[in-house]
Amino acid sequence: MAKTIMIVDDSASIRQVVGIALKGAGYDVIEACDGRDALNKLTGQKINLIITDVNMPNMDGITFVTEAKKLPAYKFTPMMMLTTEAADDKKQAGKAAGAKAWLTKPFQAPTLLDAVSKLVLP
Amino acid sequence: MSELDAALTVFAQEAEELLTDMEDALLSLETKPDDSETINSLFRAMHTIKGSSGLFGFSAVVGFTHEAESVLDKVRNGERSIDAELISVLLDSKDHTAKLIEHCLTQQEAPIPASLAAESERLIRQLTGRQTTDLQQSDDSVQLEIEGGGEISVDDNWLISLEFQKDAFRNGMDPLSFIRYLRTLGEIKQILTMAPELPAGDDMDPENCYLHFKIAFQSDANKQTIEAVFDFASDDCDIKILPPNSKFEEYVNLLNAQDDNHVKRLGDMLVQVGALTQNDVDHALQSQQAIVESENQGPSKPLGEILVERHVVQQPLVDQALKKQEQTKQKLASEANYIRVDATKLGHLINLVGELVISSAAMNLIVERHGLSDAGDVAASMNALVSSIRDTALELRMVQIGETFSRFKRVVRDVSKELNKDIELYISGGETELDKTVVEKINDPLTHLIRNALDHGIESPAQRLAVGKPAQGTVQLNAYHESGHIVIQIADDGAGLNSEKILDKALANGLVKPDHDLSQQDIHNLIFAAGLSTKDQATNLSGRGVGMDVVKKNIEALRGSVEIDSIEGEGTTISIRLPLTLAIIDGFMVGTGQDRYIIPLSMVDECIEMNANECEIDEIQHYINLRGQVLPYLRLGDYFHNQIADTHRKRESVVVVKSGQTKAGFVVDELHGEHQTVIKPLGKVFERLNGITGATVLGDGNVALILDVQGLIQAAIKNKSRPAPFLTSQRIQ
Repeated sequence: MAKTIMIVDDSASIRQVVGIALKGAGYDVIEACDGRDALNKLTGQKINLIITDVNMPNMDGITFVTEAKKLPAYKFTPMMMLTTEAADDKKQAGKAAGAKAWLTKPFQAPTLLDAVSKLVLP
Repeated sequence: MSELDAALTVFAQEAEELLTDMEDALLSLETKPDDSETINSLFRAMHTIKGSSGLFGFSAVVGFTHEAESVLDKVRNGERSIDAELISVLLDSKDHTAKLIEHCLTQQEAPIPASLAAESERLIRQLTGRQTTDLQQSDDSVQLEIEGGGEISVDDNWLISLEFQKDAFRNGMDPLSFIRYLRTLGEIKQILTMAPELPAGDDMDPENCYLHFKIAFQSDANKQTIEAVFDFASDDCDIKILPPNSKFEEYVNLLNAQDDNHVKRLGDMLVQVGALTQNDVDHALQSQQAIVESENQGPSKPLGEILVERHVVQQPLVDQALKKQEQTKQKLASEANYIRVDATKLGHLINLVGELVISSAAMNLIVERHGLSDAGDVAASMNALVSSIRDTALELRMVQIGETFSRFKRVVRDVSKELNKDIELYISGGETELDKTVVEKINDPLTHLIRNALDHGIESPAQRLAVGKPAQGTVQLNAYHESGHIVIQIADDGAGLNSEKILDKALANGLVKPDHDLSQQDIHNLIFAAGLSTKDQATNLSGRGVGMDVVKKNIEALRGSVEIDSIEGEGTTISIRLPLTLAIIDGFMVGTGQDRYIIPLSMVDECIEMNANECEIDEIQHYINLRGQVLPYLRLGDYFHNQIADTHRKRESVVVVKSGQTKAGFVVDELHGEHQTVIKPLGKVFERLNGITGATVLGDGNVALILDVQGLIQAAIKNKSRPAPFLTSQRIQ
């Protein structure tokens, strides 16, 4: 059974690139355009990894991670943040909220898959 | 390989000797159980065997002797008493160690047979007094290898220890996915799963992670890469990665290949060769800091020890790195970048540079006179070279004054003891540099001034307490650079100068007349006059009325000056100003009539054309009105009695000079500008000439006199305070 990964990012192009890479590696992908949208899409289905951007309209990534961790179905779901090198304080805030994995932007597909495979195998 | 074989032979011999000694020691303990030296030797025996076995990768021996060593350490520290039972277990352990070593030496490749492993376990239990049913397992990985069957070999494998924290699952960490990912880098040879903190039954929280893993991992990846696998888990997992023993040689080679041009820190060295990652070092430093803070005493534990304890690096590698570090230090120390040079050679060099400066000035003159424009370019660049040669040559003789200063620590200590005073010497500005010849000559005056401060300045503790000062007096020695001079200050927080007392003495000695109008400053300066001591009773330390005048004379001989600043009851500060060098200075050349004079450039404040609006001369009151300020002046031509038919004076200029706080104007005919001045001392006959400290040879072969600015300023001030001499004579006429 294929593993499911949710990608949350307000940039459609990032969602698309990440989506193509992950689907190519054999994962199922759910897309959401911001934190609020993502929370709405967390309806209890099995999700193996959530990848989220930090700066997003409506609800930012850190709030989203905090909220998602409160949902019983996603308590143990690993969360990965997309950060920029410069935003170290954001990384720390994300870690504190519960997103222990991170990926530094800009990244290429192999890096993404490598990081993902540390957390879930297809 | 033969070298290794030879080393193994030495190891075998050494181990045998140690074990024999151990047996003797154990047997003697039966009669004298409290002999601490014997216990120490037991501990050392086990410790040494453990250390050298580790070097050869005999992990079974290391694991076993480690336990014995820990027990002996406890005995040594008095935490555990030694009894007949323990002695017999230790004797068995000694025999067992011998067997283990034997096995390792003869069948290096073969794993430890089960019988030996079982024996190890049995003895460890007896040694440590642990129950077989005890669920509490030690967190010591080396020992776990043994308990896990003694089969994990650290020879070719990385030993990865993962201790997940309870929150790991909640944070989305799945230990399994990391371990699966690890396989992409190499082969997992063996994996031990442990749950040392697993609570019983009801207390267990299924959401908590209780799992620890020990992984024997074979891979060509470097430590950094392996550590990166667990990046995401770093918050929720204590990760320790021990490089395989087979890497040891590689690391040692890399260590030895490190350049030894500067001393590096242990952590940096090991990170550079790849034996450690920056993370390892950071964690170890953190725990070092934590130990220091929690214990708050004693020296902190060495970093190497912490690293070995955390099982991120092997002891021998740390030893090797430390050895390398020591070697580097020694190498650097032996090649310290100093050359001892004979002072006379240096003096000769400086004289030659002086001549070079003069002849380059002569060359300039000729080039200028003949108007050779192409030669002018060459001359200009040579000039630049000559002046940098001059500066460098003078720098060669520059030494820090700190050494001279610190000699006075002893003086202060001895003298304050003798006087029953409590005095502390504070030194600052020790790195200030000045010419070696000046340093040598300043020593005596300084000694005198410090002794004075100790003897006359600082009061006795009782007196100090009575006036509300701390019982401990302080003397401060300070040095700093100020516009081409070095200023040395001796400050004490003692009683200060008593003006009345000085004045009384001075009156009694006939130094001043009763109808004087001396300022406070003038009175203080009287202590530099010959034959005046304010101390009623002379001691053998200082002050029989000879001294301060000699101090002043010595300092003036160095073209320096002394200033005294004292507040009664609060202390005295004596400032000595000295030129940085006695050989070559930047001078400012002026001329009156046919004569040329050099004023040290550092003392020139400004040059103004006479008769300009901002500068007006008052011949009757004998002062210059410089932008509304009164400035004493001296007409250099008059002062030195130049023979000039000056029925109509030429256009004149004023050079405003400054020495310390005092200023004066020198009226001259011509300003020649900056001049590199090589100081030639005057002959003995002219030593006591007023207003001149030396001479120099100019490029055209003429001689210019170097002015004693300090003395001339005093002369100018005196001139101002009394009417001009020619006016007096006019009145008489």
